[in-house]
Amino acid sequence: MASSTVALKAEPIRLPQRVVALLPGVALLIIVGLAGKVLEKTIAGYTKAHHIVFPNIEYVLWAIVVGLLISNTVGVPQWFKPGVATYEFWLKTGIVLLGARFLLADVLKLGSVSLVLVLIELGLSIAFMTLLGRIFKLSPKLTSLLAVGSSICGVSAIIATKGAIDADDEDASFAIAAILALGALALFTFPPIGHWLGMSDRMYGLWAGTGVDNTAEAVAAGALYSDAAAKIAVLAKTTRNAMIGFVVLGYALYWAAREGRQAVGNKAAFLWQKFPKFVLGFLLISLLASLSVFNKDQIGSLANLSRWAFLLTFAGVGLRINFKEMKKQGIRPFIVGALGEVVIAAITLGLVLGASKIVTL
Amino acid sequence: MAEATTEAKKKPARLSLDGWAVAIALLLAALVRLGVLKHVVW
Repeated sequence: MASSTVALKAEPIRLPQRVVALLPGVALLIIVGLAGKVLEKTIAGYTKAHHIVFPNIEYVLWAIVVGLLISNTVGVPQWFKPGVATYEFWLKTGIVLLGARFLLADVLKLGSVSLVLVLIELGLSIAFMTLLGRIFKLSPKLTSLLAVGSSICGVSAIIATKGAIDADDEDASFAIAAILALGALALFTFPPIGHWLGMSDRMYGLWAGTGVDNTAEAVAAGALYSDAAAKIAVLAKTTRNAMIGFVVLGYALYWAAREGRQAVGNKAAFLWQKFPKFVLGFLLISLLASLSVFNKDQIGSLANLSRWAFLLTFAGVGLRINFKEMKKQGIRPFIVGALGEVVIAAITLGLVLGASKIVTL
Repeated sequence: MAEATTEAKKKPARLSLDGWAVAIALLLAALVRLGVLKHVVW
């Protein structure tokens, strides 16, 4: 009897209860996001009315800053956290909806340019991060996690690889902290560099999509530059995300061979399991838009729904940044990550500038 | 009792985060297409 009671107690929480638990945090995302929009309009209106020369700071940055201030002053109470964590869901929903703004021909054209850049970036990033990990004597598994996190798609890639190579929780949290801290830094460094270099929206979007690790930060870094840059950043980052299965499989096989464990059984099933399914949703909506399933007004509505979803994502990005927590993780993985990121940002910038000489961007 | 334990141990088929995101996005797209959601403002 006892065993059945225990088993029944372990039953997962029902869906309605889970949804209710998310509500406070989602409400906080909406409030922070709207605060970002209101701040942008109010400050722009005030400076214009009073003839004050002030740069137009987009809602994206305000939403992130408001979230960051809350997280690092009063903190995010525990009962808000499950809802705040939904920012990743809003991000993916926003990306799928954004597919309506791409004709499939554009996706194929820009996607193929992105794919070439991503493949070069992947090889160079993994090699460089592995070398840095060895120089700084990090544990080999932490080095693998940092390499995957900085070469593909940040936190999701680290979590997927952690399971596949049987890494410690501590190594995974070190790598995640480093990637998140550097993603936050990219938000404030990529846009000024892009403006300083006079990059076009397409060039900058490609750079943000290939150079910034975590998807949410890559989209935010693009949106901080312009709406068009955000669109291209999403496409480039989605191409990078699509590579996750191959890289994780490579690491899984490497570590299984090194530790004498049984390698991955069905490789096709493994690849499908790790493949980010929202990429398929993005392509499907793009296909529907290309087949003129939506009229111009409807495409505008879908693009606006995507913007609302991204607004909640940007609020979540700010609310997740906690400098105290990041400090706890120690400085060495952060230094390795930072050095790697600077080099990867420079490599991807060079790749984009080089590609712009060959194809029209 | 054995049945109850087996039943409880059975994992319900759960949609992944990506699955939910795609499902909700497609639902929203359908609502826009069918005119239920008209002119979403930004």
